[in-house]
Amino acid sequence: MLTYEPGDSVGHRLDARSKLLLQASFAAAAFGHTDPVGLAVLTGLTLALLALASTTPGVVLAEYRGVLPFLAAAPVIESLRFGAPWVDPVAAVDPALAAYRTVLLLALVAAYVRTTPVRESEAAVARLVPGKLGRLLGLGVGLVFRFLPVLQADLARTREAMAARLGDRRPLRDRVRIVATAGLTRALSRTDRLAVALRARCLSWNPTPPEATFGREDALALGLAAALAGWAMWPAAATAPW
Amino acid sequence: MSTATEDVDLVGEEIAANVARAALFAALTGVFAYVSFQLPVTSVPFTLQVLGVFLAGVFLGPVWGAASMVIYVVAGAVGAPVFAYGSAGLGSLFGQWGGYLWSYPFAAAVVGVGVHGAGDLVDPDTVGLGRLVGAMAAGTVLIYAFGTVGYAVVGEVSLVTAVLAAAVPFVPAEAIKAAATVAIVRSDAVVAR
Amino acid sequence: MIEVRGLTHRYGGGESGADSGDAGGSVSDGDAGGSVSDGDAGGSTALREVSLRIPDGEFLVIAGANGSGKSTLVRQFNGLLTPDEGEVLVDGTPVGDDLVAARTRVGMVFQEPRDCFVAATVARDVAFGPENLGLPRDEIDRRVERALAAVNMAGRGDERIDRLSGGEQERVAVAGALAMEPSHLVLDEPFTGLDEPARESVLARLIELNRGGTGVVVVTHDLRDVLEHADRLVVLADGEVAVDVPPAAAVDALGDLPVRRPERC
Repeated sequence: MLTYEPGDSVGHRLDARSKLLLQASFAAAAFGHTDPVGLAVLTGLTLALLALASTTPGVVLAEYRGVLPFLAAAPVIESLRFGAPWVDPVAAVDPALAAYRTVLLLALVAAYVRTTPVRESEAAVARLVPGKLGRLLGLGVGLVFRFLPVLQADLARTREAMAARLGDRRPLRDRVRIVATAGLTRALSRTDRLAVALRARCLSWNPTPPEATFGREDALALGLAAALAGWAMWPAAATAPW
Repeated sequence: MSTATEDVDLVGEEIAANVARAALFAALTGVFAYVSFQLPVTSVPFTLQVLGVFLAGVFLGPVWGAASMVIYVVAGAVGAPVFAYGSAGLGSLFGQWGGYLWSYPFAAAVVGVGVHGAGDLVDPDTVGLGRLVGAMAAGTVLIYAFGTVGYAVVGEVSLVTAVLAAAVPFVPAEAIKAAATVAIVRSDAVVAR
Repeated sequence: MIEVRGLTHRYGGGESGADSGDAGGSVSDGDAGGSVSDGDAGGSTALREVSLRIPDGEFLVIAGANGSGKSTLVRQFNGLLTPDEGEVLVDGTPVGDDLVAARTRVGMVFQEPRDCFVAATVARDVAFGPENLGLPRDEIDRRVERALAAVNMAGRGDERIDRLSGGEQERVAVAGALAMEPSHLVLDEPFTGLDEPARESVLARLIELNRGGTGVVVVTHDLRDVLEHADRLVVLADGEVAVDVPPAAAVDALGDLPVRRPERC
């Protein structure tokens, strides 16, 4: 699974907010230029960014090998015709480009996750969203990272216990219900303890703000993000009636 | 060393409890995203995320249920492996299946309003079966509307292809999840407080 | 100094048995997670006219069977629960008048520390309390370092909490409370679910902290090991103080009260 890998690449040194912004503007540019030329340019950029984040394309492909068949489904279905010649390859071009665009976006996700520790993602949320909402959202996101493995272990035990007593021979709806009940029961029982602990530790609206890590490289990243955003707007601007 | 305690603005008991709950339901939805079952006959694999959406709406109500799903989506966007099969990232929100993710906060709110109405939360066990099922059906319609339109727009395919690829194989699983939710609400194993 | 004056607490908050098994009987309760003692988290047991003074620096053991009200009692020390009658003062100030002061003076470590961590890594979790107080970043770093050193976890701040053993998790939870620099440290059933070496290491840290001047209050139903280090033993039964003696007198005073007693004393 994708996780943070400690390191000292440019990607590691960038502030999480720069990386999120870069991804968003990259996505905008990719949507604006889902054509062979645009995607070729963006492929080059993706490879450069991956290198800066010490992430090889091989790592990315290995990571998403489960997702790729799903991506291939749309072009395949779109190219099928009810009648001769049954298959129309031309119809598959646009969906295939779109699917490829998704691969590029996922590659950047891999670079982000491998270079960004949880605490920085959490801080980015708290800083990007202002006020009390940002406080709650940042806290909530941190709690998700914390409790994901805990609840995963709960469910794994449940499924094991079920299998040990041949519960996996039960009808599907029974199995879904059993797993869901166990997951929910455990989550609720943990919730009460967590809420008390939060209060005991003075959960406040105005905590010490997270450390800022904005550096010179972040300025470059933001410049690149702005350029991508501008390029994303370009076709619209070029065809606008003025 | 002691700080000026009057400067510390404590979060109230009720909000602290609600945030804890919303975050745990978000994490639970993330765990459900890994749990994969296979539908009989067609062998289509499906995950239980939508069950998390149903449960959030039913047990947390419209406001905190939606908040819980916002936490889920944002946590995934910044890298928590909580989307289907442990994927994550901002890119997922703009990917072909991203429409589903955008729909979750709205769907949880719809389920929440359907079950609890607009006022104070009610004990879901006292809500009639028709109302429970209706609320989840409305939530499901919303999820698939977002999902298939997103799939068609992002994937540059026709709506028919989107429905065939991204909705039809999975809809039967939603009925199973809704049935599971009803069973949970009606069982004594889970006591909502 | 924590002072409890004529404290009465009536209702039993949450539903009892909320954590019991599943409906279909097919899911096993594989670990100890389901065992809920008295007043764990939401629920609470009644207390009647409890009065108690805990001076700074004292090592106090509060014992009692499940349902005797001990968890309910200590949750009043920092305002997590509010009494129906009577009051609790921390350093002379009623708890309700300054919750932040009460919660920084009285650090609390709960059962099942696993459910009480808010961050995925050790140092981040320990920093949570001081961050809530809005302390400057360098002060927070200093406190985290000191707190981790005090529980023998120095240099392990970047480790993931869910990969730690039960005893290590308990010690991180203690560090999280210590980072608030409390005068009293209250631990609710700190030894539950720990094996012998982990118990010993946690206890050794508590003794060390107490020598350094921090008051320690251990809430337990199991008096083994801990009693010989205590300055005083209070036993609750049915929401009232049944015994309040120095440990030397404990064996005689315990009578047939339902607590697990030490083999030697």
